Amino acid sequence: MSGETIASDARRPSEPGPSAGGGPRGTRRRPAAPERAERASRRARLREAAWGYAFVGPALVLFGVMGVYTIVYGFLLSFAEWNGFWPQWNWVGLDNYADLLWRSPVHAPAVREAGVNTLWVMIAVPLLTVAISFPLAVILNSARRMSGLLRSVYFLPYVTTGIAVYFAWQYILEPNGAINLLLRSVGLGSLEQPQGFLGNPDTALPTMIVVMVWSSVPVAMLLYLTGLQALDNSLLEAAQLDGAGWWRTQLSVVWPLLRPITAVIVLLNLRDSLQGFQVFLIMTNGGPGNSTNVLGLETYRLAFLSELAPTLGLASALGWLLFLAALVVAIVNQRALRRVG
Amino acid sequence: MGAVALRRPRRFTRRGRTLGGAFALTTVLAACGGGGQGSDDPNQLEMWTFKQSHVAGLEVAAEMFEEETGISVRVQAFTPDDAYNTKVAASARTNDLPDVLEVHANGSDFSFGGAGLLEDLSDEVTEEWTAPFLPTVAQEGTVTRQYYEQSLAPGAATVGIEEGQRYSVPFTVGTFGIVYANKERLAQAGYTEPPTTWEEFIEMLDAVGREFPENGGVTIGMKVPSTGLEWMLQPMAYGQLGPDAYPELFSEDESANWASPAGVTALETFGQITPYWTPGTGIMAIDEADLSFANGESSFVVGGTFTLAFLAENGFDPDNILTFPIPPPEHGAMEQTDLKPFALTGLSVVREGGNQEAALEWVRFLARDDVARGFAQRALDLPPNDLGENPEEAVGPLLGSMAASLGESEDAYHAGDTSYKPNGYDGADVGAVLAEFTPLERADAEDTGRALARLINSYWAESRR
Repeated sequence: MSGETIASDARRPSEPGPSAGGGPRGTRRRPAAPERAERASRRARLREAAWGYAFVGPALVLFGVMGVYTIVYGFLLSFAEWNGFWPQWNWVGLDNYADLLWRSPVHAPAVREAGVNTLWVMIAVPLLTVAISFPLAVILNSARRMSGLLRSVYFLPYVTTGIAVYFAWQYILEPNGAINLLLRSVGLGSLEQPQGFLGNPDTALPTMIVVMVWSSVPVAMLLYLTGLQALDNSLLEAAQLDGAGWWRTQLSVVWPLLRPITAVIVLLNLRDSLQGFQVFLIMTNGGPGNSTNVLGLETYRLAFLSELAPTLGLASALGWLLFLAALVVAIVNQRALRRVG
Repeated sequence: MGAVALRRPRRFTRRGRTLGGAFALTTVLAACGGGGQGSDDPNQLEMWTFKQSHVAGLEVAAEMFEEETGISVRVQAFTPDDAYNTKVAASARTNDLPDVLEVHANGSDFSFGGAGLLEDLSDEVTEEWTAPFLPTVAQEGTVTRQYYEQSLAPGAATVGIEEGQRYSVPFTVGTFGIVYANKERLAQAGYTEPPTTWEEFIEMLDAVGREFPENGGVTIGMKVPSTGLEWMLQPMAYGQLGPDAYPELFSEDESANWASPAGVTALETFGQITPYWTPGTGIMAIDEADLSFANGESSFVVGGTFTLAFLAENGFDPDNILTFPIPPPEHGAMEQTDLKPFALTGLSVVREGGNQEAALEWVRFLARDDVARGFAQRALDLPPNDLGENPEEAVGPLLGSMAASLGESEDAYHAGDTSYKPNGYDGADVGAVLAEFTPLERADAEDTGRALARLINSYWAESRR
């Protein structure tokens, strides 16, 4: 039966007649046309649904395996001691959480130190990102010439960010790197860092923050630019008619109107600051000393750099603590977003 | 409203369904790695190593092995060590390990063995097998009473091992605490002989630094903070304090550990090196530090016997290298620091592999004198074999001189001995505290001594918990 037939059957008005198989003496009779049409229609719907499930199925299985399974596995692991090789986990209850938070004389201080560094990153990266990307977006939005080129240039860090760029930063920041050379050549030799900007514990974390901000500004700027272009011009004109100058308009009209975007940017950067570790792993490995060790990196160290010690459970527990922190940040941010919205 | 044209989806043919099903099944089975451990081919072995510099030497040995036995060996390297461990862990879970693994002797071999991944070789490895080895390393890879007791402590990585089991056979030996110096620059600064005391070493650094202000410094891969501690401070402190007082540095005894006057003196002596670090040493990885030396950006690099291979691999002329152990301070307990060789890596046979007999034959083949010497010359790494009276003849001049400089005496410093350290001791964390003292200069010797003692005490406390 072709599709057209099914469709035409389905549209046919209902005909009077006995119900299916229900003759006076129970004799089998052919079902009436509307009934046939309804069955055919149901079959078609079922078939269509089956195909839908068939297409969605692989994604669901993938999510089940890669998502649900790993989440549950990771959560259970946070209550166990395991090194990745033992045939069985050693259940320790909440010990891993207690060890990380206060109990272990080895792990708790390391987590606290990493927590303080992470906090600095969480404060500095979103603030600096907003402080740089908002004015940049305003300037780019008002540029009349070469605005496309400028946008591309400013967006470049985002499309090139990756391991190679972090290595490039490392070379730029090393003792004989471009930044020291530049400082020397412009007569600012006193600002040079003989051990390199990453080799001095006083400059290492601020330098890492600068690199993170450099990576995050493009997206933030793009979001602000989108917001600026969606602004109702009549509001800006009204402000100007009321006598507001350029600064006043930006601070009292544009900035408040873009607050929801600011909230999104802050949230994204908070999340990256809290959970990100790749840049630290590649550029400093937490050093010098432990001056750039952050919680994300500490988690990675516990999981993969602990000389086969059974610390995978600790790593998992720290991961879940980070998740809880991210959840709190998201809730606070959502509340703030609602208020400004 | 016009008729809505519903098209019946095209059915797959029976053949299509069959092929699709077979493909899906194959994919799932392949993902699950149902093939079993090791190579499926009885005439082929698979071996993994975490040392890229060992691959060429192993491949030459494999060719000889194939000529003699008809069994080919496929060697694969996975680096660095952490990636290798992760690879082994993942492959163990999918039943996809090779036949033979190169492992850290008395380290990852016990971790893997305790977890049931490796074959216990204690019945296989006979005295005849280990006869060509140095007597001091012949038994390494075997679980001693001390290793067994350490495995019982909470948080130990070697849970499951039993005393007397053997999970690896020594493959390369050596030690840490070896200084590699640029011979030409040393000569230009007026030095042709290695220093015999720490003070002479500092003088040498000073002279070379004055001659080469841009690149005359010393470096080490302190991005892995344990290197400064284990490859430099420890051998120097051993030379200063001697075999009895040195282990006490890691004890909880305030009168003898790092916080004690002896500990602080050792730190102060070590701190003399601070002005001579190559800029950026605090943030250099081990390979980066070695490359800094190979590229001429530093005139000294501190490593282990294994560093030579990396330097040669990266184009540094081995004839332009002068090597010497970290020397003891002038009025120290030891007149000279002998470094005791120990097994750095071993060879393990994977449990329940399909080609166990062939795997054992291959491991035994590699222990043969002629094969081991050939491998050493190509890989520039020392074998566990006794190289005789004249090691230079056996494995070449540089490797031979390094072998000759290693000591066998009772009082020789044994860098691989961890018996005096608490379980759960993490050299990286302890090294990070030392880095605050030198090269970072953020703490003085007394504060550093106290911080080291505090951290090491926390490991003792943790091990008793």
